[in-house]
Amino acid sequence: MSQFLDGVGVIFSLEMRQRLRGVAWYVLLGVFFGILLLITVVTSIVVFSSSAIDAPQHVGGPLYSLVIYFVLLLGVLVAPAMSGNAINGDRDAGTLATTQVTLITTWQLVLGKFLAAWVTALGFLAVSAPFLVYSAVVGGTSPTTILISLLVLILELGVVAAIGVGLSGLITRPLFSVVVTYLAVAALTLGTLIAFVLGGLALQTKTVMYDYDTVNQKSGTCTGLHQFTEPVPRFDLDWGVLAPNPFVVISDAVPATYDKYGSASDLFGTFKWAERSAQQSPFRANTPAAACRQALQNDSDTYTGPDAARVIATTTPSWAVGIAIQRVLAVAALLGAWARTRTPARRLAKGSRIA
Amino acid sequence: MVDSLARSFGDVHAVRDITFTAPAGAVTALIGPNGSGKTTLMLMLASLLRPDAGSIRVAGSDPVASPAAVRAVLGWMPDALGSWDSLTVRSALTTTGRLYRMNRADAAERASVLLDLVGLNDLASQPTRVLSRGQKQKLSLARSLIHDPQVLLLDEPASGLDPLARADLQVLVRRLAAEGKTILVSSHVLAELDEMADTAVYVDAGVTASAERIAESKTSQRLWRIRATDAAALDRALTKIGISIETRVTDRGETSVPVSGEADAAALLAKLVKAGVAVSSFAPAVGDLEHTFLDLNRPTERPDASTGTSTKGGVR
Repeated sequence: MSQFLDGVGVIFSLEMRQRLRGVAWYVLLGVFFGILLLITVVTSIVVFSSSAIDAPQHVGGPLYSLVIYFVLLLGVLVAPAMSGNAINGDRDAGTLATTQVTLITTWQLVLGKFLAAWVTALGFLAVSAPFLVYSAVVGGTSPTTILISLLVLILELGVVAAIGVGLSGLITRPLFSVVVTYLAVAALTLGTLIAFVLGGLALQTKTVMYDYDTVNQKSGTCTGLHQFTEPVPRFDLDWGVLAPNPFVVISDAVPATYDKYGSASDLFGTFKWAERSAQQSPFRANTPAAACRQALQNDSDTYTGPDAARVIATTTPSWAVGIAIQRVLAVAALLGAWARTRTPARRLAKGSRIA
Repeated sequence: MVDSLARSFGDVHAVRDITFTAPAGAVTALIGPNGSGKTTLMLMLASLLRPDAGSIRVAGSDPVASPAAVRAVLGWMPDALGSWDSLTVRSALTTTGRLYRMNRADAAERASVLLDLVGLNDLASQPTRVLSRGQKQKLSLARSLIHDPQVLLLDEPASGLDPLARADLQVLVRRLAAEGKTILVSSHVLAELDEMADTAVYVDAGVTASAERIAESKTSQRLWRIRATDAAALDRALTKIGISIETRVTDRGETSVPVSGEADAAALLAKLVKAGVAVSSFAPAVGDLEHTFLDLNRPTERPDASTGTSTKGGVR
């Protein structure tokens, strides 16, 4: 076992030395640092100059989550380029075969490259550390939030790295595998969102709805009932497709914190509330009595708010399933790469030379 | 070592039927035209490619069944010049050593020895991307030797090397063979293989040439080049010996004469000396390997003095 890890370590350090001596990597980190600096400064100015908000907690909470989302976004955007040519790029450079004739096994090769791609992506997290510390301190972010958000972020970057390395083993042309990695990441982030919206609209069912002409706040009664039939989208049936979305996973996994009105105090909670709301049946308010309650509430001056706390408490968490789905994808990609890179090779891609 | 090996890529039958044995302690040349399956054969020997049929034994191990055993004793210098761009020459070698499960100290020591051996000491701390083609070739050779392999596969080792480096390579290869290693070399520069190789395997269209055909080509007519201090005397003597003027080609003060095999050539030289011609150079127009190679590839054509690069080997 230790011999196996030794081999993985040699490949890992070889990959890191190859990557870290490239200029592109440092340029990207610099650009990333600049963007985060800009976001942090602008958000801080907006919030601290605003007299309506007295407590720094109001900015710190959202700011920390904003930085985390940005690291995830940029990591997801950059990691495919960093990992999507790990194996076929070596083949093009003529260094894959010379590695494969040594005593390195295919698994050591694939895992070493995967770890290197992962650690490279984590470089973005390292660069964002000053901003995370600043926003966490200013906003008094809870240790639980910090711990869980970081863990999930690290995991998500690993999933992208694994998909990239896996596809670079499965696909012969580096450019093509990088593009396919981007498509895979796009499918997870945008694709699940589009599928969710289209799915909900496609599944819409006709429902009888009730409405009132006037409401009387004093007596708490409604008059002028009329009913109408309207198709409603059934997001409660297809919310599951959002589960493997990296942004949903991170929002769903971090325990939500609320202000005194029951609203989410950071972006994790806001997104979580939005995503969890989809689970609620559209038929909740389609009795005359429920419709009256709703109308009274909408009309009231004392808006009681969306009550994120209540929605989140009564709906099902999806992050564990999401992570499981992602892990299956990542492992499948790495397995595929292993099968295609195994030597002695049974088949070669058309027009490719092994050496 | 190799028995009726076959491998195809889709419709392309790169290797159809190759059978040969490369003995230990000798240099075996692998000769064949472009696209004859030499590199494919090397890849199968190096345990990178699985044969469709046939069997291989490298130092007693089967590269398909136990690739690790083969890799431990085999050094492969590929025809492609790949190197880790941003690593220094020295660290490229130590990393290769580490890939062969050597510990850090052993790998570093071995790298130093090999840098010395191939003459890359001055460039040891340069990144490999600045190396010239020939220097990369040297690095590739050093890399293939890092774990002191028993069997060495050299695919076009001399391409890109300057004449001095070629000579060094020859000496090194001969020395390794003398140490008892099995060496298989493929090259297009047949003259060079002539001086390096003990035996040769001829491959054409994925098939090894049979021993009979090789023997046949040894006795087939080939041109010998003769240079004499007095060209006119040589001319007269040749006519007297009975070699008709039509078959002789005179070019740059040298006369090429067709003879059949070594014995015939020796007899001709004896006659010329007896006739009092002052012969200063008497050698085959092309090297042994080249002659066989050309003969096998063009069985119907007569070897011609203008084909191939002329080689001046032999006694002078």
